[in-house]
Amino acid sequence: MVTLVLDVVTTAAILFIVSAGLLIVFGVMKIINFAHAAFITVGAYAALVASRLGLPSVLAPALAFVIGGLIGAAAERVVVQWLYSRPLDAILATWGLSIVIGQLVTLAFGRGVQFVPAPISGTESILGEEYSMYRLLMVAAATVIAILFTCVLNGTRLGLSTRAVIMNETLAQSLGIDSSRVRLVTFGLGCGLAAIAGALITPLASVDPNMGLAWLISAFMLVMISGGSLLTLGLSSLVLGGLQVVVSTFVSPILGGLTIAVVAAVALRLRPEGFARA
Amino acid sequence: MALTRSLLKILAATACSTILITPLMAADPIKIGVPVGLSGANSVVAPSVVQSAQLAVDEINAKGGVLGRQLSLEVADDASGAAGAQKAFDSLVFQKKVDVLISMETSAARNAGLPIVARGKVPYIYTSFYEGKSCSPFMYVNAWVPEQQVPPIVDYFTKEKGAKKFFLIGSDYAFGRGMLAFTKAYIAKTGGKVVGEEYLPMDGSDWTPIISKLKSAAPDALITSTAGGAPNVTLTKQLRAAGVTLPYGNLAVDEGTAKSMGSDAKDIYLSASYVTGIDSAANKTFLAAMKKKFGGDLKTPNDLSVPEYEAIYAYKAAVEKAGSTNSSKVLKVLGEVSVEGPRGKIQMSKQHHAPLTMYLGQVQADGSVKVIKSFPNTDPGAQCPNLKS
Repeated sequence: MVTLVLDVVTTAAILFIVSAGLLIVFGVMKIINFAHAAFITVGAYAALVASRLGLPSVLAPALAFVIGGLIGAAAERVVVQWLYSRPLDAILATWGLSIVIGQLVTLAFGRGVQFVPAPISGTESILGEEYSMYRLLMVAAATVIAILFTCVLNGTRLGLSTRAVIMNETLAQSLGIDSSRVRLVTFGLGCGLAAIAGALITPLASVDPNMGLAWLISAFMLVMISGGSLLTLGLSSLVLGGLQVVVSTFVSPILGGLTIAVVAAVALRLRPEGFARA
Repeated sequence: MALTRSLLKILAATACSTILITPLMAADPIKIGVPVGLSGANSVVAPSVVQSAQLAVDEINAKGGVLGRQLSLEVADDASGAAGAQKAFDSLVFQKKVDVLISMETSAARNAGLPIVARGKVPYIYTSFYEGKSCSPFMYVNAWVPEQQVPPIVDYFTKEKGAKKFFLIGSDYAFGRGMLAFTKAYIAKTGGKVVGEEYLPMDGSDWTPIISKLKSAAPDALITSTAGGAPNVTLTKQLRAAGVTLPYGNLAVDEGTAKSMGSDAKDIYLSASYVTGIDSAANKTFLAAMKKKFGGDLKTPNDLSVPEYEAIYAYKAAVEKAGSTNSSKVLKVLGEVSVEGPRGKIQMSKQHHAPLTMYLGQVQADGSVKVIKSFPNTDPGAQCPNLKS
């Protein structure tokens, strides 16, 4: 029972970390960044580079954030900024972008599976159950990310402009807010956050050019269902991630893999706008 | 004037090419077709397969070839799948008109290629371990099947580790399920008990619920059969992160993957017909020759690339015994000739399959594989009862 609860909480934390970047982009720009998976991959390779350079592993997510953010900002200027009024084309374009990034990663590092040593290993005893320390650390990481981004959105000038653009872009522009700059920064932040996720999951995953893809569908569904708020994203990660663990444990892991997609599809049928109040 | 000049050019070109071609005509090379997954899932291992084919061909050519003819390689990319294999086999058999096909491939690619092999009536030596029971009068196999790979691990766990309760984890696809179905039957036959059997889809990356089940089932040993590469790495990492330390047999890990996983791979048991640590003169000569030929570009020889090397020698022996490259004559004797290679003496004498020496290895802290025990002359069992010999 303790194990089940820990499985649920840690799975939710990992899902939250992986989806947060996608949510930021979707919340502000109302477009789906299908290159999200590619930025997760970029972050993982940044962690690989960091470990090869012998940097302390605390710096790996920071390096990932910088690299992912810069590539994301560049992509926004070159590709995405022309597509805000064409969300369907934006999906295609970002999907194409993810193929390009995936191939560049393959060219640079090869197709094979790479290895990044875990910063901490071993287990921690919780209520008599030995549990993976790194997964527990993910809960802390998810909390930090949630708090940081809530602070940025609610406590800074950038956050204020961002929220203004989310609520009413035309009005925000007429008040002198440079909405194209807000979008550039937000897209960069979203991609940087995806890269942090990639760096954080490397000790639990293999590092290969397609590694991000496994997470894309879950992240996409969670963001759709949460409808653009960080709080509802946390909740839906907990509920859907929990369902996934329960189905995997008591029915079959194969059906467990379908749980998030199926439940999300049903939920969106009943409530197309998602569960955020905004 | 222009016409005369171009006529002259054509004449000159023809003359040149005739001069160039004539000496080659005398000893037309024997063409070996190698359809292999240079792109797609097999692209990580395919370069090592091509390298060992090149070494075999170079060695044989340096010693005068086969029946006085040189060997030449025709490598074609099958994209690791059925559609690519159809194109690759078709172009090798009907356009390049190869004399023989020798290669490792995915099962999907092999199955797609076999009808083309039958239509072209070319001998085909399949050099990849696989799930077994693929039969064609044109195909010989010199790599292992489940009947040869699984028993060493199960027997060792049962006898040396006293394991009675086994837990099985696999990727949800034909090879993963096929291997574990055989493992389960074999465990039951030898008196053990399977206390859990779980699968995750091939693109799944979170093994947490399965690992929790594994821990609560409290087995004595774990045997896994995932897809190679990413699923294998994620499972092993998450097992280690969860503090799982029971005897762990992995049916899908190879030396290269073990090395790249570093300390997480430590203590994994694997069963293979080839590991680089085989202590024999033939293996040492082979490894030295590979290192000399490819230097820094060398891809570590493995259980998929060494059978390719040996299969080319088996074809050479068969052609020499048959006295020609005639397809039906070669096919008749392929099961009768034996080759002394890095894996030992190999003869594809059992219903187009080969009895093999299997090695039980354990991954060491530095990622190398230490041979713990060898199982000589492991029988492939009845793979193709309808094929004679």
